[in-house]
Amino acid sequence: MTREKMTVERALELIEAFGAEPGGWPDDERDAVSALIEAEPDTFAKALSEARALDQLLLSEASPEPSAELAATILANAPVAAPTRNSIFDGLSSVLFPRGVRWPAGAAFASLMMGLVGGYAYASGGVGYDQADAVYYAAFGVDSDETWLSLE
Amino acid sequence: MSGLSELDQITRAASGDRAAQAALVNRNMPIVFRVAYRMLQDRAEAEDVTQETFLRAWKALPDWQPKAKFSTWACTVALNLCRDRLRKKKPVLMDELPERVDTALRPEEYLSSQQTLKGIEANIAALPERQREALSLCALEGMTNIEAAAAMDVSVRALESLLARARRTLKARMIGVLAGEKQ
Repeated sequence: MTREKMTVERALELIEAFGAEPGGWPDDERDAVSALIEAEPDTFAKALSEARALDQLLLSEASPEPSAELAATILANAPVAAPTRNSIFDGLSSVLFPRGVRWPAGAAFASLMMGLVGGYAYASGGVGYDQADAVYYAAFGVDSDETWLSLE
Repeated sequence: MSGLSELDQITRAASGDRAAQAALVNRNMPIVFRVAYRMLQDRAEAEDVTQETFLRAWKALPDWQPKAKFSTWACTVALNLCRDRLRKKKPVLMDELPERVDTALRPEEYLSSQQTLKGIEANIAALPERQREALSLCALEGMTNIEAAAAMDVSVRALESLLARARRTLKARMIGVLAGEKQ
C-alpha cells in the first residue's frame, strides 16, 4: 500500500492488531504506516504508547519449553534411511571380517578361494581324464569304463 | 545444516538423514509445543500433540509440496489436534458457545469480577480459543499475518480482527499492570 492510500484509521487498526513494532505489521503496509506515523507523530502517540506497553507485557510471557526427552522420542519415530549398496557390503564384510578387513588376510582368503574354484573346475571339466584313461588302457588293455560296466 | 534451504532439509529428512531430521525438530518442535501448551494449558497434553504432529510430519515428508513453511504446516496440524481435544473436553459448551464473551468493552465490570489478575499467561489462557490462537502465532511466535492466517485457516482480515480483539481484551484485563508498564 502506498503512503497516499494509507489512512489514519487503517494505521490505528494495524497498531491495535499487531502492536507498536513495525516488524509485526503486514509486509505490504509497513512502509506506508511508518511514513504516516513519521508525518503525524502526535496522531499516533497515544495508540503507540498503549500498544508498546502491551507488547512489553507479551514479551514477558513465559511458556514452558518442551523436554529434551520429547525431541528424542520424536526422532526415534523418524524415517530410517533405506540400505544402500555400500551399507550391504559393509554388513557382509562385518560378518566375514568382524575385526575389519585386513589386506594380508584378505589376499590369503582370495588365494584360497581361487585355488578351490580352479581345482573344482579342473576336476569337473574332464581335463586330465584322457591321460589317465590312456595309462589305464596301456596297462590293462581294456577301457576302465567298460570294466566298470561289465562288473555291474 | 543451517545453510540448507528448508526444502533441502525436508528432502534429506524424508530420506532418513538424521542430521536433517534433528535440525527440523530442533527448529520447529519448540514452536509447536508452545502453541499447543497455550491452547491446552497442560504440559503432557501439549507434548502428546507435538509428538502426534511430528508423526504426521514424518509420514507427509516424502510427498512434501513446498506450498507453506514447515512451521506453518506443523502449527496447522497442532491447532487442529488441540481443537479436537478441547472439543472432547467441552462438547456441550463448544456447540453453544463457540467464543467466550468479549469483555474488552466493559473493563470496569471485568475488573470487578471474581477473576484476579494472575499475570499475562493466565490472561492469555483465559482468551477465547480463536483469539488465543491468533495471538500465540502472531504476537508470541512471530509469524506474519499471512502465515498465521494460513495456519488457522482463516482470512487475513479475520486474523486481524481476532488479534485486535485479543489485544483489547488483554489491555482491559491488565489495565493496572499496563499503567505500571507505561510509567
